[in-house]
Parts: sequence; C-alpha cells; structure tokens
Amino acid sequence: MSVLDVLDRPDVISPGISACVGCSVELTLRTVMKVLGRNSVLAIPPGCMGGVGVVGWDKKSGAEIPVFFPLLTNTASMLSGLRLAYKRQGRDGIHVVAFAGDGASVDAGFQALSGAAERNDRIIYICYDNEGYMNTGYQRSGATPKGAWTSTTPYGKLQIKKDMPRIMADHRIPYVSTCSPAYMKDLVEKVEKAKRNKAGFSYLHVLNPCVGGWGFPPEESIEIARLSVKTRYFPLYEVVNGEYHITVDIPNPLPVSDYVSRLKKFSRTSEVALTEMQELIDQQWQELKALEQVRVNGA
Amino acid sequence: MSHVEVMTGNQAASTAACLARPDVIAAYPITPQSSVVEDISKAIAEGKLDALISEVESEHSAMSVLEGAALGEARTFSATSSQGLAFMYEPYFRASTLRLPIVMAIANREMISPQTLWASAQDSLSVRDAGWIQYYVENNQEILDTILQAFCVAEDKRVLLPINICYDGFYLSHMSERVDVPDQAQVDAFLPQCYKPDHIYLDPDRPMAVDPLTNGDLLMEYRQKHLEAQQRALTVIEEASEVFCNLFGRHWDGCVEAYKIDHNTKGAIITLGSMTGAAREAIDRLQSEGLPIGLIKIRVVRPFPKTELRELLSGIRAVGVVDRNVCFGWNTGIIYQEVLAAISGSPSIVHQPFIAGLGGEDITIEMFETAARQVVTLAQKKNGSRDQETIWLRSVSEEVHK
Amino acid sequence: MPHDYVAPVGVEGIYIINTGKWRIQHPVLAEEKCVKCGKCFMFCPVGAIKRRDDGYHIDLEYCKGCGVCSHECPTKAIQMIGEEGK
Repeated sequence: MSVLDVLDRPDVISPGISACVGCSVELTLRTVMKVLGRNSVLAIPPGCMGGVGVVGWDKKSGAEIPVFFPLLTNTASMLSGLRLAYKRQGRDGIHVVAFAGDGASVDAGFQALSGAAERNDRIIYICYDNEGYMNTGYQRSGATPKGAWTSTTPYGKLQIKKDMPRIMADHRIPYVSTCSPAYMKDLVEKVEKAKRNKAGFSYLHVLNPCVGGWGFPPEESIEIARLSVKTRYFPLYEVVNGEYHITVDIPNPLPVSDYVSRLKKFSRTSEVALTEMQELIDQQWQELKALEQVRVNGA
Repeated sequence: MSHVEVMTGNQAASTAACLARPDVIAAYPITPQSSVVEDISKAIAEGKLDALISEVESEHSAMSVLEGAALGEARTFSATSSQGLAFMYEPYFRASTLRLPIVMAIANREMISPQTLWASAQDSLSVRDAGWIQYYVENNQEILDTILQAFCVAEDKRVLLPINICYDGFYLSHMSERVDVPDQAQVDAFLPQCYKPDHIYLDPDRPMAVDPLTNGDLLMEYRQKHLEAQQRALTVIEEASEVFCNLFGRHWDGCVEAYKIDHNTKGAIITLGSMTGAAREAIDRLQSEGLPIGLIKIRVVRPFPKTELRELLSGIRAVGVVDRNVCFGWNTGIIYQEVLAAISGSPSIVHQPFIAGLGGEDITIEMFETAARQVVTLAQKKNGSRDQETIWLRSVSEEVHK
Repeated sequence: MPHDYVAPVGVEGIYIINTGKWRIQHPVLAEEKCVKCGKCFMFCPVGAIKRRDDGYHIDLEYCKGCGVCSHECPTKAIQMIGEEGK
C-alpha cells in the first residue's frame, strides 16, 4: 500500500478543529490516526490539540474514536491503566495512543512517561514537539532550543534542548523514533511499526514547526520541518530493540543558519550562538552515526 | 464459611481488597501503608488473586493508572498515606469528578513538617472536599468489613463515587487483632459481580469523548449531580451496612454510631477512628460514676451525616469534639468545625474543641476522662459561653494545656 | 436511551468548528499543470484536498487558506486567491 493510499483512509478527527492556520500538528494528528485506525483510544493531554477541540466541547466529541483528556502530568500512566483493563478483557488489539505536546512529555508528564516506559507498558506515545508551551502563549519548555525566543525567554533561552528521543531510547523500550511531517512516508512507516509493536512501549517524537510561536508564514510549515531535517537539526532515526538506524540520511547537510534565519524566534541569535548550535548539531550527528555502529548482541 | 485470623490493619485491608475481586491494583509504597500493596502483590504472584497490578513510579501514577483502568471498565483498588496522598491530589480530585468508583484505603499519617511517620487524619481530612466518600474506621475488623461495603456503595448507580477507607497509621495498620474473614462465596454474594459502567468509559466499540472542554453552566450541572450523589450516598451507606449485617452478622451503624447515649445524657464526646476505643473506656468509667456523658463515633465524614448527628444531639447540652488533626485558621480541629456546621441551628448546645494525638501521640483513656469531665461541666453550667477555646490534650505532664 | 450525563462525556456527535470562515485566501487548482503527485493531499493540515480516481480536488468547506498546498506544489499548479471582501 502506498503512502497516498494510507492517507486516503477515513479521517477520524473532527474536520473542523481550531488549530492555527498552517498548523503542522493538526496534519500530524490526522495522519497518525489514519494509520492507527478506529480500534484505538486516543489520549490528548492539555496542550494545543486539546485546546483546539480534539476532545470535543460540552456533550460533543472531537473525534469519531474514543478520545479523552488525561492530565498534563499523567498521560502515560492513565494509558497504562487502560492497557491493563483491556488486557484483563483479552482485548489486546486495541491501540492505546497518546498524542501529547512537549510540555506534557518532556516536562510535567515526564515522570509518568518514564515510569510507563520502564514498565514497558504497551502504549503508543507520540510527542508532538513544537518546542514550547505554544497553547498557553509560547512559553519556554525543556524542549525549547538554546537561543530561542519564547514569551518567558525574551532574550533567548540559555539552556540547550532536552534530547528526549535519546532519553527514551535509554529506557531500552522496543521502539523509539523521530519523525517529521515533511517526510510523510517515513512518518507513516514509523507509526505502522509502532502499531505492529506488541512487545511493549513505542515512543515517537515529532518535530512540529509552530507558525505563531516560531515566527514564519503559515504556508512554510512543511518547508521549515524539511529544513530542520536537511540541516541535521532534527535527524530522522529509529531505535528498534536498542539498535539505532538513521532512516533519512543527510549526507550533504545545509548549514543550520539556513534553518535559523527563517525563524523569528532566532532573530536575536548571535554569530557565536549560531556557531555553537552548529557544533552541537555536528556532535549529535556524529554520536548518532557512532550509535548506528553499535550492534546489539555483537552482531 | 468464614474463619478467624489474627491480622494487622494493613492485612485486613489487603484481605478485603482481594476478596472484592479487583481487576487492576496500583499503589506506591509509603509508610505506614506499604504492606497493603506488598500483600496484594504476593497474592497475585502466588496465583491467589486473579488481578493485574501496576508497579507504578509514584502515587500520582497509582491514581492515574486506576483512572485509566476504571475508564476501561475495571474494578480498582489502591492504598496510600499522607505525602503519597498529597502527591496524588491532582488525579485524586479527578477520580471523583469523573465519577469513577475507585476504592482506596488510607493508613492515616500526619502531614509533614516536622518530619513524621505517625498517625493523624490530617492527610485525608485535608482533602475532604475533593468529592470522595470518606469512611473512618475504628478497628481491623471494621477495616475489612468497610472495604467490602465500600465497593458496594461506590459502584451503586445512585452513587458512582470513589471511596476512601481511612484508618490510623500504626495504631491499626500495624496492630494485630482478631479478624473474622468471610469466605469468597459470601463476599461474591454481597458484591456486584463486576464493574460495568454506562456513564463513562473508553471503548472503541462504543466511542465517546471523556471530559471534553465544558462550559460553566454545564459544569454546574455536573457538580450539582455530584453533590446530589454524595447526599444519596448517606442512604446507600446505611443500606450497605444493613445488607452486610444481614449476611455477615456485624453491624457498623452506617454513618454515625451512638455509644451509651440515652434521654438522660447531657454531654457527648465525638470521635473519629481508632481513638474511639479509649473513648469508650473513659465513657464507661464516667458513667459508672453517674456522669451523664455519652459517645458519638463519626464513621463517615463525606458525605457528612448532619441529620443523624442532629437527631443524636437533640437532647444534649454540651458536646466535645476530639480531633487528631488541626483546622488551620479556625484554631480547632477539622471535625469540630464539621460538627459546628451541623448543629449551627441548635443554639442550646455548647461545644468544646479538643486537639490530641497529633503525630501519633497516644490519646489515653485519662485524656478522654479529662475531656469528658470538661464537657459535663459545660453541660451543667448555666449561661456558659458557646464559643470555647481549644483544649490541647498532651501527654508530657498528663495535664490539660490551654 | 438518552445518556444520563452523570459524568462529563461527549456522546452527541462530532464537535465541528466552521474553519472555512477563517479563510482570507483560497487555493485554486490549474488541472492542466497538475502532475498528480499528491503533495497537496499529503500535506494539507485540514484534509481539504480530496483524492479521486481522476486526480485531486479541493474541498473548501474547512479549508483555512494556509497555502501549504500551493507552497508545496512542485509545478505551481495551485494558486492562492484572496477571498472577496477580505
């Protein structure tokens, strides 16, 4: 089945949700749920997708499948409980899915997420990372990169971005990957792998450019996502049972300045900071390449 | 048939939980509750209990796992204490507002600081307004029996609320007593076969959104229904108590128990939890001296049994409330304030707050005698002030400190 | 049986916001330039591009007018045109 065939499946999310014009998270959510299908339960913690109506309003639902608000802090553990209930009923075919922002994943929800991953509970956890608390007005999160403007770092964040996919991979769960809405075939394949993973926890980390919070025209949201990959700012890889594999190789990367210069959030970034950012990107790529060489069981 | 075992309060709790055939259990270790979850884990590991347990990384996740499980139509149980309950507060409040009939034992422990491990109902009473039903029990038999009753009340369609069974840490959690353990068939006859919700659930075959964004007016409708369910629970609790008594032969007097109160009684001491044992002794002694004093044990704090309490106090001149907790800002205990609210329409009753036993301090029979004599004095006083200063009952010199 | 709404749930159909009203511009497809690559269909955040046997078709009902389809189109087959009166 081609990617276009997969994308032609019914959309289970409400056709009208109030995500910002050009929002790449909306695209990612619709796509992910086309892959996972109706035999799913969807957790949307407080954040952009909760705010725009995916869980619904009053007595109406925002989706055709069961959908709910966990707390910002307990998405993974509520899903652990759901999984146990279904296990008890022998309903192992149900996909238990989180679609959570970076705040709910790398910050306030991290403990529950780490606990569920350590228990290797069979959950598909998708983190849509727009590098800040975008729904509450663009505040800094642990996923905000160094130098980026947010409403709480008006002169740029001082600390580097938390490397969440690597942290999750170090839980030694069966499946971890990074995804981009600009690389749709890669994204769909990765969600399908998570869907097939019966061995335990799946963690997918999607970098989602945010029109308002990052400062770029809405029509460029896919292009910005693509640039984040082409500059190696956000490498696309997966970690299957501990083995790293870069799924979209970038042999001739663009300089990170090509990415940074497109985003208002980096408008105060100095030359020195840019050099530092490039060095960090180069180092992380080298680390990934080295990790790719490490074969589990010495194979 | 049933059999007798000598067991700690925590064992009584885990035994009851196992008998209730839960589907999913999640709990995180904390003194003095830990052995509840240890015993349940053991029962599952040994194949004595057919259930699933989640070894969570925190109390916050313990409650969250149970909420997910309950939305997946599972019967659920947990246990915690003090700081664990405090850490759990965010999902704790939500268990009731999502109307999930989770049952959770609380081995009551004082809140820090100072650093402490010992008894006080400060932990659970501090969250009395989070929408749960809260029982406070006196001995290990009552722990076991009440946990069974709690599942019955929680899952009743007229209620659909989570329930705490609170018992004093160490005094009950670690003290061994004779407990009559019903057999499985008896319990199966008493409890609903399984938890089968039609009000809130997550099931791909019957899609619904759980907890959409809600406007204020609709939220008020949900709150009103929640409050009404709390009030209906007063009846359901009494019913469960009666049905339980008919099946098992033990009666725990529903929401409030009156001890040695009759038409001659002029004063009453009000207690909560394990301190009631010592209070009974004190009342026996004073009644043998001819003092007109009786005892009221409040068994259910949420919903508060105001009507029953008013009836019991209808002929009484003075009441003393002994609190093993404090109510900041009122300079009294919490139950005192609750009682005060219940009797606010009875200006003839004089009321005296006592605070005792914080941080696991013993509340002795002698302290209760002191308290009871004070109440009798107030009852006999003509034109005494209704607004009495709190009396702190402390053991250091066995004196009453003001 | 009507739901009793003891707890906060949504069972009365799908909540839909009329996002088509937000639009200040809309995409227009020049079919003769279209190579049927499906990029517009793939990247439309709201699912406004529909796939048919004969190619792709724009359904403006929920289109927010973001312009991603036009921007991603490799043959510039989609033009963004301003809404009248906006």
